Amino acid sequence: MSAEARPLGGRILTPFFFLLSLLAAVMAALVLYRVFAGVGSITALTDGYSWGIWKPINVVTFTGIGAGAYAVGLLCYILNEGKYHPLVRPAVLVGALGYTLGGTSVIVDLGRWWGSVFLGFPPWYNLNSILLEVALCVITYMAVLWVEVLPAALERLRADGTPGWKAFATKWLPRVRQMLPFIIALAMLLPTMHQSSLGGLYMMAPTKVHALWFTGWLPFLFLVSCLTMGYGSVVIMDILLGVVFRGKYRSHMKLLGDLAKVSGYVSLFYVVFRFAALGWEGRLGQAFQFSGPVPFFWLEIVLFLVSAFMYLSPGVRANRGRLFIAGFVGILAGAAYRVDTYLTAYDPGPGWHYFPSVGEVLVTVGLASVGLLVFIVVVKTLPILALGSGSDAPSPSRPTH
Amino acid sequence: MNVSRRTVLKTLAVTGAAGAAAGLATPAEASHEAVKLAPDAMGLLYDSTLCIGCQTCTVACQRANGMPVDKSLVEANGAPYDFPSDTNGYNKTVIKLFKEGDKYAFMKMQCMQCVDPACTKACMLGSLHKVENGIVSWDAIRCTGCRYCQISCPFNVPKFQWLEAIPRITKCELCRSRVDGGKGAACAEVCPRSAVITGKSVDLLAIAKKRIAENPAKYYGEAGEDGKVVPKVYGEHDGGGTQTMYLAPAGISFQKLGLPKLETVPPAQMAMNVQHTLYRGFILPVALYVVAAFAIVRNLRKEAAAHKAQEKKEGK
Repeated sequence: MSAEARPLGGRILTPFFFLLSLLAAVMAALVLYRVFAGVGSITALTDGYSWGIWKPINVVTFTGIGAGAYAVGLLCYILNEGKYHPLVRPAVLVGALGYTLGGTSVIVDLGRWWGSVFLGFPPWYNLNSILLEVALCVITYMAVLWVEVLPAALERLRADGTPGWKAFATKWLPRVRQMLPFIIALAMLLPTMHQSSLGGLYMMAPTKVHALWFTGWLPFLFLVSCLTMGYGSVVIMDILLGVVFRGKYRSHMKLLGDLAKVSGYVSLFYVVFRFAALGWEGRLGQAFQFSGPVPFFWLEIVLFLVSAFMYLSPGVRANRGRLFIAGFVGILAGAAYRVDTYLTAYDPGPGWHYFPSVGEVLVTVGLASVGLLVFIVVVKTLPILALGSGSDAPSPSRPTH
Repeated sequence: MNVSRRTVLKTLAVTGAAGAAAGLATPAEASHEAVKLAPDAMGLLYDSTLCIGCQTCTVACQRANGMPVDKSLVEANGAPYDFPSDTNGYNKTVIKLFKEGDKYAFMKMQCMQCVDPACTKACMLGSLHKVENGIVSWDAIRCTGCRYCQISCPFNVPKFQWLEAIPRITKCELCRSRVDGGKGAACAEVCPRSAVITGKSVDLLAIAKKRIAENPAKYYGEAGEDGKVVPKVYGEHDGGGTQTMYLAPAGISFQKLGLPKLETVPPAQMAMNVQHTLYRGFILPVALYVVAAFAIVRNLRKEAAAHKAQEKKEGK
């Protein structure tokens, strides 16, 4: 299935590695300080804006980018488009990292973080709580993603481990593989649940979220936007890998092109659906009253449309640089929609203001650095990347169409 | 080309099916059962026309709940005596002044003790929950400090201790466990003008309506469906009803005093309708899992077979 995946190899301790480590260390220091001095000591949060950038960026955007595993998995496993296999492993790794970082960020953000141990105590569950659904679902999915990464680690151990590890890997690899379809099914169900609920969270604030964003379709719109973000992240990742590790890794331009087409149509669907829902709920008129956060609504629509039309243009799909930009705009579109719902379109009432603090930004940057760092180390040491199936290599399975 | 178009259609179909499931939930307005005001439910009645803004209630509240003196304004701009500018991590009630031209009115802020509160729906482990007399109470050990209660409360009532290593959520619990051994809400006990009184909500509502009946011109009213202006008790129906209620002076709306304009259904109603429809009996998630597992097993088998056939062909 992904037999052609191989470790990239190469030096681990590069200057870039140290730069990322430094940013991570800054974050660690801030987090340590926060443990003793309180959440407010490094954030600009207030009782009005009690969730700042950490929720919409570290959690909702990171996991949106991490949704590449879900979005490509959906094509590959449910719709039986087996050709996307070479993209699955790296996407799963990005997913595992994105979700782990998002989860870490939540723990840092929780005022009484030690209380989260009771998330393992079902008698206390409040089944009305959308946040509880998100929390349990994200925790479970995080575990699922790492289990999906497991075969890569076992393959490496079987190939290069000590005799003990070799025996261990040889014994467990087939067992994990046998389990995998049922794990993958979970990996399809769980994001459907929590990516929609991430939007559902703000259905609880009808008086605070602007009418252009507040709708009973929030869960569905968040689900669709995680698909476009996921596709965008896979497109960007594969192109970046080809550029950064040129000579070793070839981007899968043909596959990315097909993926881009899918993502383009999904983006168009998102835009059409969003307008239809607004019309259906009788709120479309608000889009033309240019006050408050309304310009941001149009910015989101423009970003979605730009990425969609770029994706759907053959010229863009054939050009690595342009396709990269299209993917980037695609991620930006989804991120804008999500950040706006959580912050820009959120108004707790007069007298409350929020602008992220340096501490909040540094923690976000630090978390992203940890993600990048671990990703680079893992693709160098474990068989994650399909090195032999890039654009210049002959297409492995299907004839050209 | 064909392959990709089919993929697109299939992707849209799958997302569409999920959407249809979500859509089933949206129109189901009444699926989440409305909570009615319990006969023993307690609250406060604050009559802004009686308040003189002396803030004795704020001081009594701080004492009764063992809260520290709030010196923030003294330190910030040399205010002559300590008083909090708003409810916060260390203040459960505060008096605010509304001024517009020569009109002014006082306003008391504290928890509304909603009949069907959004915060208790939002809270992951039921830290915020209703106890005896319908009082919304906070339980330290079940709180993770996620602050989703703050997002979901339309009145911005729950407050967080931002600079504590072990922070708490602070909100009025009607002095249900007063540290100084008194009885009932301390604010109502000390109010020199009885601008705030406490008791069973049904009784408070009757008192409010009696005051309105005796002097309708004194109180703020809103135009009903027939266009006639009727004096209003805020909380009788607002946000599905609140156990703590308000009377405002004529000419000054509740919104100007800082209370949000709410529908008569609880604020969390729509969210609960959607969520409980999607997750009713956990049927939909289980069904999705079964379908996914079936498709995956089938597709992987097909693929393995195709792979084998390919190898055979190449072998020959």
